[in-house]
Amino acid sequence: MRAAVLHLALLLSLLLGASAQAQDAVPPPPVAKPGTSQEKVQADISTREIAIQSNFTGVEILIFGSVDFSDTRTPAFGSYDVITVVRGPNKPIVVRKKTRMAGLWVNGPGKTYTRVPSFYAVLSSRPIRAIASDDVLRRLGIGLSELNFGRDTTGSPQEQSFRTAMIRLMEDKRLFTADDSGVVFIGRSLFRATVVLPVNVPTGRYVVDVYLFRDGELASKTQGSLEISKAGIEAVIYKMAFHKPFLYGLLGVAIAVIAGLIGWFAFRRD
Amino acid sequence: MFQIYLPIAEISVNLLVMLGLGAAVGFLSGMFGVGGGFLLTPLLMLSGIPPAIAVATGANQIVGTSVSGTLAQWRRGNVDLHMGAVLIAGGVAGALFGVLLLRYLRGLGQSGLIISMTYVFFLGSIGALMLWESVNAMRRQRAGKTVSARKSGQHNWIHGLPFKMRFPRSRLYISAIPPLVIGGMVGLLASFLGVGGGFIMVPAMIYILRMPTNVVIGTSIFQIIFITAVVTLLHATLNHTLDIVLAFLLIIGGVIGGQFGVRAGQKLRGEQLRAMLALMVLGVALRILYDLVARPTDLYSIIPAVGG
Repeated sequence: MRAAVLHLALLLSLLLGASAQAQDAVPPPPVAKPGTSQEKVQADISTREIAIQSNFTGVEILIFGSVDFSDTRTPAFGSYDVITVVRGPNKPIVVRKKTRMAGLWVNGPGKTYTRVPSFYAVLSSRPIRAIASDDVLRRLGIGLSELNFGRDTTGSPQEQSFRTAMIRLMEDKRLFTADDSGVVFIGRSLFRATVVLPVNVPTGRYVVDVYLFRDGELASKTQGSLEISKAGIEAVIYKMAFHKPFLYGLLGVAIAVIAGLIGWFAFRRD
Repeated sequence: MFQIYLPIAEISVNLLVMLGLGAAVGFLSGMFGVGGGFLLTPLLMLSGIPPAIAVATGANQIVGTSVSGTLAQWRRGNVDLHMGAVLIAGGVAGALFGVLLLRYLRGLGQSGLIISMTYVFFLGSIGALMLWESVNAMRRQRAGKTVSARKSGQHNWIHGLPFKMRFPRSRLYISAIPPLVIGGMVGLLASFLGVGGGFIMVPAMIYILRMPTNVVIGTSIFQIIFITAVVTLLHATLNHTLDIVLAFLLIIGGVIGGQFGVRAGQKLRGEQLRAMLALMVLGVALRILYDLVARPTDLYSIIPAVGG
C-alpha cells in the first residue's frame, strides 16, 4: 500500500515537474533554509484540460495533495498550512470612473493595468495573513492585496481607489476569489481544495501553485497547470471569427438571408 | 437545462429566452414594418450581452427579418429599386464611417455614452413627432376628414438641386443628392447603434423625399438588408464582435415572430399602429435617458484594454 502511494507520488511529481518547466515566466520557488525542514508538498489537479462547449456553465476543479514528512526529522512539531493559488494568463485592463458632467454620468479617463491575471483564486487553510507575514506573501505574490498589476499605485489615494474598485469588479465577476477556508486538511498530511471556474472563465493556460508553510515560513512549493480551451463547434466558431473574420461575417449574413427566405416561403399565404 | 454557451460573447444564456426575445422583436417589427433593432440592441444589452456584441449581432438578426419583409413587399410591387440603389450607395459609405467611429470611441471609453445619447436624441425626437402626427391623424379621422400624408405636386428646396434622376416607381424626378445623404446618415446610425434605421428612413422618405407611402416601407426594408449586411460584415471583420450562435437564435425567433406580427398589424389601422410604435420608441428613449441621468450603482467599470 505504502509503496503504491509512493509510486503515485513519484509519478505526480514527475508530471508536475514537466509542466512546471513549460512555465518560463514563473520564477523558481524560493528554497527553504537547508537543514530546517525537508517536508515536501505534492499536489495534482482533478482536471488538466477543460473544454468549453455549448453546454458549458462553469466547472469545479479539485486540487488535492499531501504533505510528505518522510525526510523530516521532527514531523511532530510545527504548524503546517497550505495556500493554493490558481492564476489565469495576464491581460491588460482599463479601469474607468464615471463622473457627473452637465447632468450626465460620463466616463473619465481610464487607468490601464498592464498585468492583470484574467483569473485569480487564492485558497488557504487559514486566513493568509495568519499564515505568513506580509513580506513573505508579497515576495511570493500571494493574495489579492499583494498582487502587482503592472501599475504603481502606492501613495496616491486616488490610484488606490481605482485599484480597489478593479479588484471588487473582478470579484463581482467571480474571476477573483479568496477563500480563507478553501483548503481542507484530511488528517495530518492530506488536503483538498475546490476551485469554482465560472462560466465567464477566460481561456488559456492556468498555473496552479501549492505552497506549504511551516510556522510562517515557506517550506515547500509545487506547481501544476491546466489548460482551458474552447472545444467542438465553439472552438471552430471562435477560430473562424478571429482568423477568417470576413468569411465568418459572410456566413452570418448568409444564415440570416437563408432563414429569412425559409421563413417567408414557410409562412406565405399568397 | 436550456443554457447555451455563446462562443464570442463568452457567456452562457438561456436558449428559450433568446428565442423569445427574437420572436418578440420580430413580432413587433412585422407589425410595424420596422427592423426592430432599436428594441433588440438595448434589450440584448440589458440581458448581459456586451454592447459591442449586441450591436453587431443585432445587425445580423435584422438582415434575416428584412429579407422576409422585403419578399412580402416585393410581391406587392412596393419596392423602388432605383431609389433603393441610391440609398444603399450612401448607406454603405455611412456604415463604414460609423464602424470606424465606433472603434475609435471605444478606445476612448466613450462609446457607451455616445451610443446612448444618439439613441435618446433620435428615438426621442422621432417618437415625439410620430406620436404628434398620429394623434392628429386620429383626431382628424374622428372629425370625418380624409387623411393624405403626401401632398402631390408640391415643390420644395429639394427640387433645386443638381444631378436629377428619374425614380419611376416612386413617380419622382429629383436630385440624387438627398437620397445619398439620407442613406449615408442612416448607414452611419445603423452601424453605430446596431439598428436598421427604418424608424428614421421612413419619415425621411415621406417628409423629405415625398415618396408615395405605398413604396416607402418596401423600399426602406429592402435597403436595410444591404446596410445591415454590410454593417455585420464590417463589425465581424474589424471588431470580431459578431456572435453567430446568438444571431442564429435571434433570427429563428425573429423570422417566426415577424410572420405573426405582419398578420396582427393588418388588423390595426395605420394611425393606431403609428401611435403605438411612437409610444414604444419614446419608452425606450426615456429608459436610456434615465440610465444616463440617474446615479449609476457602480461608478467604476472595467474593460479589456484595446489591442490586448
